[in-house]
Amino acid sequence: MTSAAVVVCTWRGVRGEIPEETEAALTLGRKVSSALGADLHWLVVGTAPEADAEIAARQGVAALERIEDAKLAGGQADAFVEAMAQYCAQRSPRLLLFNQTFDTRLVAARLAGRLGSGAVMNGVDVEAEAGGRLRVTAAAYGGDTRVVYELAGEKSCIVALLANAVVPQPVEGAASSPTRSDVAVDLSGVEERIRVLEPARAEGLRLEDAEIIVAGGRGLSSPENYKLVEQLAEALGGMAGASRPLVDDGWVDSSRQVGLTGKITRPGLYIAAGISGASQHMAGCAAAKTIAAINTDPDAAIFRYARYGIVGDCLEILPELIRAAKQGR
Amino acid sequence: MRIVVCAKQVLDPDAVNNYALAGRLVIGEDGKTLTQTTIPQLMNAYDEQALEAALRLRDAGADCRIAVVSAGTDPTTLLRHAAALGADEIAAISLPSSGQDYHVIAALLAAYIRSSGGADLVLCGRQASDDDQGVVPALIGEALGMPVVTVARSVERAGSSDRPAVRVTRVTPDGDEIVEAACPALVTISNELGEPRYPTAARKLAARRMKPTIVSPDELSLRPEDLEPRALLTRQYVPTVQGHCEFVPGNTPAELADRLVGLLREDKLLQ
Ligand SMILES: Cc1cc2nc3c(=O)[nH]c(=O)nc-3n(C[C@H](O)[C@H](O)[C@H](O)COP(=O)(O)OP(=O)(O)OC[C@H]3O[C@@H](n4cnc5c(N)ncnc54)[C@H](O)[C@@H]3O)c2cc1C
Ligand SMILES: Nc1ncnc2c1ncn2[C@@H]1O[C@H](COP(=O)(O)O)[C@@H](O)[C@H]1O
Repeated sequence: MTSAAVVVCTWRGVRGEIPEETEAALTLGRKVSSALGADLHWLVVGTAPEADAEIAARQGVAALERIEDAKLAGGQADAFVEAMAQYCAQRSPRLLLFNQTFDTRLVAARLAGRLGSGAVMNGVDVEAEAGGRLRVTAAAYGGDTRVVYELAGEKSCIVALLANAVVPQPVEGAASSPTRSDVAVDLSGVEERIRVLEPARAEGLRLEDAEIIVAGGRGLSSPENYKLVEQLAEALGGMAGASRPLVDDGWVDSSRQVGLTGKITRPGLYIAAGISGASQHMAGCAAAKTIAAINTDPDAAIFRYARYGIVGDCLEILPELIRAAKQGR
Repeated sequence: MRIVVCAKQVLDPDAVNNYALAGRLVIGEDGKTLTQTTIPQLMNAYDEQALEAALRLRDAGADCRIAVVSAGTDPTTLLRHAAALGADEIAAISLPSSGQDYHVIAALLAAYIRSSGGADLVLCGRQASDDDQGVVPALIGEALGMPVVTVARSVERAGSSDRPAVRVTRVTPDGDEIVEAACPALVTISNELGEPRYPTAARKLAARRMKPTIVSPDELSLRPEDLEPRALLTRQYVPTVQGHCEFVPGNTPAELADRLVGLLREDKLLQ
């Protein structure tokens, strides 16, 4: 293969886990690399146990690369940007694909500034044209529109991929047998400029991992009524979420916010009560397998995404749902 | 200290949502831009909150000059609003109607900040509600060599008068994180900061007399490569949402609830 590689970059979460969306990025990376006639690499920051090799093989990865350095352990941006910049200087990849997360959003964008290369966030697809030009489709206006960006130049381009944008698919035919290598970087010069005084404390279950979510919106009309949402969530063994206005108005904590600037969830069941279905909200729940919506307005946008709809007052329906959920269990 | 707030003019996102919902969002003949002239232009809400964060620092006793800068075709109204809210300086980087990307915008903003007296603190919105990219602040931070602290709910002064710093509470997916960075630093603001203030009528009137400094890109002595777009918008379209909702029939809330729970159990979504 002649062209510079397509590289999917992931790093482990606090518990050492590989992000769930990694395989989706690898699948997209494979598509782009084959269109470019390039190799697909997977760069893992942190330790790489055996499971990675299986995923890599299944996804047709040619090279499994690893960067490990004590300075990366703290998860701080300066070290990551420097490590990635050194990687790019050594290997000149054509495209770097990130799974978009709170952290990669900053690192990927800063890296673009460091390298002077083009970057696109909220990516949903990447295509390589004949001639090697890259086109990225991304969500804009919270999802109301899609925009297509053309990435100029031959420098390493950077794309962060939205959760749920790509369906992971294993390689057809024989799995690959990726080479493994360690990439040496020198981070001795990095002094984190941002000092953490109080770390975030991940507490309890995450909305992102919930199988059932009951979410409430402005249709609940007053903060006390949010307890109906919590009670239904509890009765169903799920978690309670909310639209942004409830967070803005201080009814609920921002950890409950579902949407573009909140949690990106993918539960089996998402029950939306008194939520209009604005694109910015749907960005965080449209990937639910089933959405059930309760809204007084039959024309509410939420019904376009919902599998089941109840046109009605959620303050009347929610108590009955709580009752019905508790019955016959 | 000098605080520079970067503010972008955007189409009112709620109006865009309403047009989208009504199926009336139209892309213009260039295939790239939304052309409904009835959609109002506003200051990006997060940027209004970034200005609010600056004003709160001043309220808390920081001796500061607040400059608001916007790059766009005609940001005068936005800048007057900023002046009415309390900005001491307002500057417009005048742009030809198209052909820039946010890499160019970031280069221009960084160059403006550098050439206009620098900044101890740069405040941006976490993202613009039109492109949702959130890339410009990171690019400005890199260009100016500043640490970038994203998604803040509050910004306070820290450090000492000769070594100023900021203490920032960030809204992370795992809860709040409190960090400190020495100035100069760049911080992006999220909606958790809370409601921005409204300008008083008297201030609005006074702001009408304030003229923005108009900065042309040529004055900013950028290298030609800084003015080359790297991620050029070539197309914009409205995705189709396939509706397939089955409305649950029923006359009473109890009936509706029982039916829905029944359907969800049939689908094995509930026990
Ligand atoms: C840059 C940006 C980012 C954003 N990020 C997010 C985000 O992450 N998450 C998010 O949620 N929003 C986000 N928003 C806001 C989003 O655009 C919407 O404004 C918001 O989602 C609306 O919340 P809502 O549906 O609860 O309220 P509304 O839009 O006010 O809808 C209330 C709904 O309740 C219905 N209703 C009223 N009374 C009843 C009743 N008694 N019973 C049943 N239904 C009733 C109404 O018909 C209506 O449909 C963002 C906006 C911007 C610009
Ligand atoms: N044209 C502009 N003029 C001034 N500030 C901008 C401009 N574009 C982006 N910004 C700033 O960068 C933030 C993120 O924008 P974006 O990267 O476009 O999502 C905005 O909230 C603004 O603070």
